Amino acid sequence: MDNLIEMRDIVKVFPPHVVALDRVTVSFKPGEIHSIVGENGAGKSTLMKVLYGLEHRDAGEIIYRGQPVAFRNPGEAIEAGIGMVHQEILLINEYKVWENVVLGQEPVNWFGKIDENRARQQVQQKIEEFQFNLNPDAVVDEISIAARQKVEILKLLYRNVSVLIMDEPTAVLTPQEIPQLFNELRRLRDNGHTILFISHHLEEVLELSDRITVMRRGKLIDTVPAAETNKAELARMMVGRDVLFTSHREERKAGEPVLDIRGLTLADANQQPRLQDIELQVRSGEIVGVAGVEGNGQFELVNTIMGLTRPTSGQILVAGEDLTGADILTRRRKIAFVPQDRGRMGASVSASITENAMMTHHRLNGRFTEWKGLLLNFRKARQYTDELVERFSVSLGSQAQPFKSLSGGNQQKLILGRELMLDSPFVLLDQPTRGLDVGSIEYVHSQILKMRENGRAVLLFSADLEELLRLADRIVVMFRGRMVADLPVETTNVEEIGYLMLEGKHRNYEQEAS
Amino acid sequence: MNWFTGLINGMLQGATPILLSALGGTFTFYAGIFNIAMEGMMLAGAFFAVLGSYYFGSWLMGILLAILGSLLMALVFIVFAVLIGVDEFVTGIALNLFSLGATTYMLRQIFNVKGGFSDPGIVSIPRIHIPLIRDIPVLGQILSGQNLVVYLAVIATVVSAFVIFRTRFGLRLRAAGYNAASLSSSGVRTDRVRIYSLLICGVLCGLAGAFLSLGYVTLFSENMSAGRGWISLAAVILVNGNPWGIALISLLFGFTDGLGLLLQSYRIPSQFTSMVPYVATLIALFFYSIRAKKRASV
Amino acid sequence: MSKKLLSGLSGILVALIIGAIVMLGQGYNPIATYGALFKYSWGGLYPLATMLKNSVPLVLTGLSASVAFASGPVNLGQPGQFLIGALFATVGGLYLDLPPVLMVPALLLLSMLGGALWSGVAALLRRLFNMDEFITTLMLNMIADFFTYWAISYPLFDRTAFSPMTPAINRAGWMPVIGQFNTSVLVMVIAFVVILFVFNRWTAGYEWRLTGQNSIFARIGGIDINKNYVTVMLVTGALAGLAGGLVLMAGPHRFLKGLGANYAWDGVMIAVVANNGLIATLLYGLFFSTLQTGALGMELITAVPSEFIQVLQAVTVLVIVAGRETIDIIVDRSVRRRKVRERTA
Repeated sequence: MDNLIEMRDIVKVFPPHVVALDRVTVSFKPGEIHSIVGENGAGKSTLMKVLYGLEHRDAGEIIYRGQPVAFRNPGEAIEAGIGMVHQEILLINEYKVWENVVLGQEPVNWFGKIDENRARQQVQQKIEEFQFNLNPDAVVDEISIAARQKVEILKLLYRNVSVLIMDEPTAVLTPQEIPQLFNELRRLRDNGHTILFISHHLEEVLELSDRITVMRRGKLIDTVPAAETNKAELARMMVGRDVLFTSHREERKAGEPVLDIRGLTLADANQQPRLQDIELQVRSGEIVGVAGVEGNGQFELVNTIMGLTRPTSGQILVAGEDLTGADILTRRRKIAFVPQDRGRMGASVSASITENAMMTHHRLNGRFTEWKGLLLNFRKARQYTDELVERFSVSLGSQAQPFKSLSGGNQQKLILGRELMLDSPFVLLDQPTRGLDVGSIEYVHSQILKMRENGRAVLLFSADLEELLRLADRIVVMFRGRMVADLPVETTNVEEIGYLMLEGKHRNYEQEAS
Repeated sequence: MNWFTGLINGMLQGATPILLSALGGTFTFYAGIFNIAMEGMMLAGAFFAVLGSYYFGSWLMGILLAILGSLLMALVFIVFAVLIGVDEFVTGIALNLFSLGATTYMLRQIFNVKGGFSDPGIVSIPRIHIPLIRDIPVLGQILSGQNLVVYLAVIATVVSAFVIFRTRFGLRLRAAGYNAASLSSSGVRTDRVRIYSLLICGVLCGLAGAFLSLGYVTLFSENMSAGRGWISLAAVILVNGNPWGIALISLLFGFTDGLGLLLQSYRIPSQFTSMVPYVATLIALFFYSIRAKKRASV
Repeated sequence: MSKKLLSGLSGILVALIIGAIVMLGQGYNPIATYGALFKYSWGGLYPLATMLKNSVPLVLTGLSASVAFASGPVNLGQPGQFLIGALFATVGGLYLDLPPVLMVPALLLLSMLGGALWSGVAALLRRLFNMDEFITTLMLNMIADFFTYWAISYPLFDRTAFSPMTPAINRAGWMPVIGQFNTSVLVMVIAFVVILFVFNRWTAGYEWRLTGQNSIFARIGGIDINKNYVTVMLVTGALAGLAGGLVLMAGPHRFLKGLGANYAWDGVMIAVVANNGLIATLLYGLFFSTLQTGALGMELITAVPSEFIQVLQAVTVLVIVAGRETIDIIVDRSVRRRKVRERTA
C-alpha cells in the first residue's frame, strides 16, 4: 500500500458543458506534504472538494487506504480521517476556542449537558501535543487570523484526521506568519500526517512541499518532486507558456496633488483610535498602493474618504476642495470608487444592469434626466450603458438582465467602467481584483495603468503585494491606524513591506546582528 | 394590602403569556430564524385549548390540544420557511393571517358562533395552592395560589436557560444563529437544529395560548392574542434573547397590563389603560435604541 | 413578467383546489360555492361596483405596504394610519362646511395628512432615536386602535347612538356616486397611476427602489437615504390614510367601531403575495376584493361561512409565495450554471 490516496480518471462537469476536471489521475503518499498548484479555475479546489465529499464526481474512482470510497459529505470524510481547512475561516467568533473545537462532537453528561472540564482537558491535550500555542478559553473574535487558522486545524486534529487538506491557507496571513504555519505543517508531517496543500504561490510551494502537482484547465499536467523543479518550470506548466515575472510600467512624472489628506484622525464610539494622524498625498498620474494586514485602518480610511464615516479631526481635500464634512454626493463629483465587496457596496445584484450602470450618474450626469433632474430618461440611460459595455468589454446578454447574471469578472468590469466614466480626478480602488480569474485581472490592471496614463490620481488598496509592486509608484503601509511607511516602489520589496505590515516599523538589521 | 397583591397577581397574569411565547421566540432567535409567527401560534393554541377543554371536559386535554394546534402552525412555518425556503418574514405574516382566518372560521363552523365562544362547559386550568407556603403573610398570597401555567412558565424559564447555555443542543442552537456555515462544516445538520427550535417555540406558544383562553377567563374570542405575540417579539429583540432578561421584561409588560387595570378604577377611560403595554413597549424600545446607538462603533 | 404571472395564476388555482377539497370534506359543493362567489362579485353591475368599491382600501393599503417594503422601510402601520386618516376625515367632515367640490378634496387631503402624521411619528422615532419602525408601527397600530375607540366613544360620540360611533359627516363630504359606481374607485385609480409614475420614472422613485434593494450601495452612490426614508414613510402613510378616508366617505359616512376591520392587514398580505410589485398589488387587490365581496353572497347560497374566505386568502398567499420560491430556485440554478460555464471557459 504505497499510496494513501489514489484518484483515478476523475471527471467533473458543471452543467451544461464546463469540464472542471478532465480525467485527473493523481496519488498521494502517506506522510508527505503534497502541493497542488494552478491558476484560478484550474480545478485544484474542485479536485479536493470531490475527494472531501463537498462535490459529487461524475466519473472515476477514489481509493483510500486500499479501499474504494465515495464520501457523500464532509462528515463522512472526517470520520474516515480526511479533513479540510477552508480558505475562509469558518468559526463561531462569539465562542471560545474549546467550544469551537468540540462543536459537533461535544463530550456530554446526562440530559445532554456538556462536560466542560473534559472538553477543555481534551482540547488542551491536543494543543500541547502539536505545540500550537493557543489558549482554549480565548474568544475567537479576539485572536489573530493566524491563530484562528490553527483552531480550524485543531478542530480536525481533535477528530483524529490524518490527512489535512489546506485550501490557500496563506491568503489570510502576512508574510511573517507564514513560516510559523509551515513549521507546524512540517511537524504534523513528521508526526505521520499527510498534508495536501492547494496554492498558486510558487515560491511557498517550492519551499514547503515534498511533491508538487500542477493542474491547468481541469487537466493534470504533471507531478514532480519539489527538489527537482523551479519556479519558471512550474509557471510554464501552470500557464502553458513562458511567463515573465517583470512588470511593464513606463516611467512617468506625477503632477499636482489631487488627494490631500492631512492629520486625519478617527476614534470610534469606545474612544479607541482607528486612524491616527494620517498624512497622505496622491498626485495626478500617480498610483499609490496601500498595504497592510486587514483590520489596521484601511476599512476606516476608505469609509472616511468616501464619507460613510466622519473623522474626529483632520482634513480631506480632493482637487483643492475641502470635502471633510461634505455629503457623499458632493464627494462623488470628484471621487470614483470601486469598493471591495462587489455585491454589497458596488451594485444591487437584483437590479438590472442598466439600473446599476446609472447609479451616481443619475445625479451627476445631466444626460439622463429631464425636467430639472426629476424625471429619468431611460432611453438615454440604455444608450449610455451600451457605450459603457462596449468600452470596457463587458460581455452580457441583455441590459435588462439582473446584475447577478454576470460573471464576477464582468461584474467588476461594469463597476469599473461606471466609475471611470464619471470622469473623476481621483479614483479609489479597494481590492479591485479579488476573486477574479486571470484574464479579468490582467484587464483590470491594464485599465488601472491607463488611468495613470490619463493623469488621474489612483489610490489602490490591495492585499496582493505582488499586485501593488507591479502597479504602484509608491507604497504606503498601514499599521494600527497609522501610516508607518511611504516608499517609492523601486526602493522596496515584498520582505520589507511584509515586515512593516506585521511589526509597524522598519527592520533593524544592526540590532538583529548584535 | 389587597391592592398590592392584586397588582402583583395582575402582573403575573399579564406576564405569563408573554413570557412563554417570548421564551419560544428566544429559541428561534438563537437559531437565527426571523420568527414573527408567535402571534399566530398563540392564537391557534388559545382556540384549540377551548376546543379540547370543551369536548373532553378536561383542562389537560385543553393544554395538550393547544400545544398540538400551535405545533401545527409551527409545522407550516417549518415546511414553508425551512424546507422550501420562503422568506421567513413573509411566511410569518402569512401564517398569522392563516391562523386568524382558520380560528375564526373554525369558531364559526364548530361552535356556530361569531365573535367569541364562552360556555360553562369549558374547564379552566386550575390554580395550585401550596400548603405551608400559602400561610406566609403577603408573600404567601403571591407564591401560592397561582394558576398552574404560571408555575409552568417559571419552570420553563429555568429549563430554557439551562438548555440554551449548558447543553449540547444549546451550543449547536446558538452556533446555528451565529454562523450556520460553520456549524454545517462541523458535521451538524443546521436544518434540524432550526426545526427543533421551531417545535419548541410551538410548544411554548401553545401553552401561552392555553393560558389566554383557559387561565383566568374561559372563552375564546376572535383574534384573542391581540398583539401579544408582537410584544413578545419586541421582548426577544430588546433582550437579545437571554431567558432571564425575557422573564424580567415580561414581568414589566405584565405590570403595565396590571397597571392598566388599576388605572381603570381611577376613571381613566379603558381605552387609554389598554394602550399602556404598547406605549411601554415603545418606551422600552426607546431606551434600548439609545443604548444601542451609543454602543455602535463608527 | 411572465414568471410572475405564471406563479400567480397557478398559485391561485392551487389554492382554489385546496379550498375545494376542504369544502368537499365539510360537505359543501365547491362548484356552486365558487360560482356564487363569482356571481356576487362580478355577475352584474351592482356586484361589480361593490367589488370595486371594496377593493379601494385593499389596493391602497397594499400599495402603501408595497412601496414601503420595496424602498426599505418596514412600514407595518397601515392599520393605524388607516384609522387616523379616517379620524382626520371625520373631524373635518363634522366641523367643516364647504360645497362638495371643495369638501371632498379637503377631506381626502385631511385623511392623507392623518395617515402621514401617524407614519411620520414612526419615521421620527427612527431618525431621532434609531427605533426600529417594524416595532414602532406595530405598537402605533394598537395605540391608534384604542385612541380612535376612545375618540368615537367620548368627544366625538353620537349621543343618539347605542354603540360607539360618531354622527354622520356633512353630506357634502360623501363620495359622489355615478350610477352604481362610487367615485372612490376613481380616486384609487388616480393614486395608483401617480404612484406608478413616481416609482418608475421619477428620479426619487429610482432612488427608493435601489435603496430598498441595497441601502449601502445607494448611499455610496450619493443617495440621501435618510431623506428618502422619511419621504417614503410619509407617502406610504398618506396612502393608508387615504384608504381610511375613502372607506369613511364612500361607506358608512361616520366613524364607527370596526371601521376598516381587517383591511389594513390585508394590505400587507397583498404586498407580500405581490412581491411588492405595484401592478401585481393592484391585481391581487382586485382578486381579494372579489373573494371578500362574494363571500356574503356565497354564504347565502351555499351556506359556506364567509369566514372561510379568510382561510382561502391566507392559503393563496402561502401557495403563491411557496410556488414563487420553487420557481426561483429553478431559475437561479440555471443562471448559476451559466455563470460557472462562463467563468471556467
